[in-house]
Amino acid sequence: MANNRTTTPGRSPRLVPAEAAGAGPAAVPLRYGDDPYVWACWLYYEESRTQGEIAEIMGISRATVNTYLAEARARGIVNIALEPERLGALSVAQALKRHFGLEDCLVVPGDDGARPLIDRLGVAGAQALGRLVQSGDTLAVAWGRTVLSVAGQIKRQAQDPRLQDVTVVQATGGTRADIAYTPELCAAALARALGARLVHLAAPAIVSSPALRAGLMAEPLIADQFATLGRANKALFGISSLRPNSTIQTSGFFEDVSLQDYLAKNAVGGVAGRFIDAQGRPVAGPLDGRTIGIELSALAAIGLRIAVAGGFDKVPAILAALRGGYANVLVTDAATGRGILHAEGVSEGEAKARQRAESAGPAPLTGPRTHIKKFLNKADHVVEEMLDGAVQAHAAHIRPIGGSNRALVARNGPRPGKVGLVIGGGTGHEPCFLGYVGRGLADAVAVGNIFSAPPPAPILACARAASGGAGVLFVYGNYAGDVMNFEMAAEMAEEDGIAVRTVLTTDDIASSPREDREGRRGVAGNVLIFKAAGAACERGLPLEACAALTARANARTYTMGVALEPCSLPQTRRHNFELSADEIEIGMGIHGERGVARDRMMSADAVVDRVMDGIFAEMEAKPGDRVAVLVNSFGATPLMELYILYRRVAQRLAAKRIVIARNWIGHYCTSLDMAGASISVMHLDEELEALLAAPCDTAFLKV
Amino acid sequence: MTDHAARQLSRMFRDIASAMADARDWLTELDGAIGDADHGITMALGFEAVTAALAREDLDRMAPSALFEIAATAFLDAVGASTGPLYATAFRRAARFLRTQEPAASNTPAQAPSLAARPLAPLSTATQAGLLQAMAAGIAERGKGQRGDKTMLDAWIPAAEAAESAAGLDAASLWRAVLPAAEAGAEATRSMTAARGRAARLGERSLGHIDPGAASAVILLQAMARVLADQTDAS
Repeated sequence: MANNRTTTPGRSPRLVPAEAAGAGPAAVPLRYGDDPYVWACWLYYEESRTQGEIAEIMGISRATVNTYLAEARARGIVNIALEPERLGALSVAQALKRHFGLEDCLVVPGDDGARPLIDRLGVAGAQALGRLVQSGDTLAVAWGRTVLSVAGQIKRQAQDPRLQDVTVVQATGGTRADIAYTPELCAAALARALGARLVHLAAPAIVSSPALRAGLMAEPLIADQFATLGRANKALFGISSLRPNSTIQTSGFFEDVSLQDYLAKNAVGGVAGRFIDAQGRPVAGPLDGRTIGIELSALAAIGLRIAVAGGFDKVPAILAALRGGYANVLVTDAATGRGILHAEGVSEGEAKARQRAESAGPAPLTGPRTHIKKFLNKADHVVEEMLDGAVQAHAAHIRPIGGSNRALVARNGPRPGKVGLVIGGGTGHEPCFLGYVGRGLADAVAVGNIFSAPPPAPILACARAASGGAGVLFVYGNYAGDVMNFEMAAEMAEEDGIAVRTVLTTDDIASSPREDREGRRGVAGNVLIFKAAGAACERGLPLEACAALTARANARTYTMGVALEPCSLPQTRRHNFELSADEIEIGMGIHGERGVARDRMMSADAVVDRVMDGIFAEMEAKPGDRVAVLVNSFGATPLMELYILYRRVAQRLAAKRIVIARNWIGHYCTSLDMAGASISVMHLDEELEALLAAPCDTAFLKV
Repeated sequence: MTDHAARQLSRMFRDIASAMADARDWLTELDGAIGDADHGITMALGFEAVTAALAREDLDRMAPSALFEIAATAFLDAVGASTGPLYATAFRRAARFLRTQEPAASNTPAQAPSLAARPLAPLSTATQAGLLQAMAAGIAERGKGQRGDKTMLDAWIPAAEAAESAAGLDAASLWRAVLPAAEAGAEATRSMTAARGRAARLGERSLGHIDPGAASAVILLQAMARVLADQTDAS
């Protein structure tokens, strides 16, 4: 058999005739009707043979078995069917996730009547927690029958032994112990199941007066427990309807009188002991001043908020919780899920259509190399997670404005009487732009999606934060998207009474001919221009003077880039464009846009000469003139190669007797993982040199 | 379809979102040829955000104009880029136009629970045509662009012109006029060199490539047609 396999042509769809069996593949037994596909499928699906065994039996290579099996599916010889109930649940989950923009959704398939809904929700909730809880998490836990059921199921599923440093914190005060699912018990059961540290709230959920509440909240122990609650990054809670047999009704948690109050104000449900109306808005009532527990706004601010709830009577309450944004992970059952979709006017057909779209989505992680490896959790979370890390790493220099990492302000930047410098742009260029925020440089930065301009809202927030009453200067790269968004923000800032001037950076000499200087794009030379602008603002110059100096810095800065290999976006993990083995792209921008010309690979010196010749053609420098040089990596090119480039830059400048007054070499304005580099030269005059020499303190540029 | 206008429009946005999700990789590929390869991602993300924002609203109390305002803000805040301001302005123009078509009572949607205040009828053909014209005008104004620039306007402007001349017909006929016009316009971008947007820097290297913004405009209009053309009542 062994030598049989070596002779099999993997691509042949027809099998060799039976008489050849001795020398080639085995003959197809009669019962398979001379069809090797059917034979292979029978062995694989009915006899559960491995592909290796099938290869042996059929006398063909494993690769051919694989081809047969794939082909059989494509031709409809084999149909792989999911159990309809499961499939239905999947499409409901997918539709809910899409419709409400949820992080995730888990739907328990339809009821076979064997197990109560509460148990099935518990199993699903435990499954969700098992996937979502990570080491180091602080999990806020509210109370209810479903939550207790989840805790019970986790115990049975046996916890992940690798889970470390998890804290479970009780999200509301305690209730009377005549129910089985008190807040204390729910939190304790969950903590035990997860092997987590437990933090109780040592106070009743409802106290008799606002004064008593204030007193208790001031107690150091309770304040400390609330501080833990404030650190929660995940939450688990049920959603209560206000029907007669609901958790809220039967818990003895509220006096009947109070509940009637809330119902009269159109409350439709309860989350963590608080009431919400059909739109998810908090409903104010007599208990507000007397309730001890997590506020709805605090709950909504937690990163991952897992709601476990099911049952037709809960549809309005779940809908309200989703509309209010209290949950971003929903665990429910198929019937309830369908009810919610129905109430929203989303049809089953729509849900199915979405399902098809989704299934075509993520690329497989195995198989031949078609995708670039990257350090990712979820591709959609790249920007938020990066910002989370960057804000912590550079806390000494930057802090978020109004809780959003999309607008960051310098800790020691803005002050009365100083022109505020606002920069910004898409991400993927790190350390541009947030690495240049700090005293003596930019006062605030607006952060967009990958390679995409930020929207006006964060830019406006930056303008307000940077404003010290002397006006605000916007400096950013000349791209259609940036221009539109910054212009919209500038209009809004002017309406606020903040004077705004804008300087677009246009340093990329390869992006447009010389006579169209203002049509060029802004690239790594940005960094030098920001530095000059920041120093001008720091000097306390008036807005017009700051803008004029920045414009001058821009006019005297020249950049050209060369790409050796393309970059890849985290969402696609594919190359943005292709360069063949011996091709390079001259004039490459910082977004992976194709440059203006392709050439054959050449030596480092030849690349530098190509770039420097372009720069010399524009920069009218005389012997003795002084320049600043920035040799910048596009991401993947190491310092080793940057120094090789710098060496030649220095040679070329020295030969013209041009003096390098300052140099910066490294990753200053990248393009994700692109291999390549850009060279920027700022033609200094006395004033620009002084501006570059002025002190600044930012995460990535210090003078 | 007996849905009233707000439900109809929310279904339309959901349909757009799923069409963009389907087309994500194709659009991104188109953009990779002449831009920075994120157009598909941006469009999918933007309309996903619109869908999620609308899911938080009580559509039964919402005027169509308010729905477009919400869509504009959600799209812009999620996206930024150049597509964000362009479509946000399109939706705001649409909202402004719809407000002129709505009875005064429905201009306070959130506080108008009474049945009488609900805009119950689906959008009429004339209103749909006006909507398309308002959107195209908004995009042109924000982008300071025109036909022939190799942008989304090459699909939007012919679509709006076709809508104007078909405004007196029934909804199905309106869309039978609009879609081919938009498709032909998008197809025509192949032979254009870009005058605006990032592709403008490529000069003649943008030749032969269909503009991704025009391509996604066609996808958007097709989704609008699927929902809006399919109605029995067009009063």
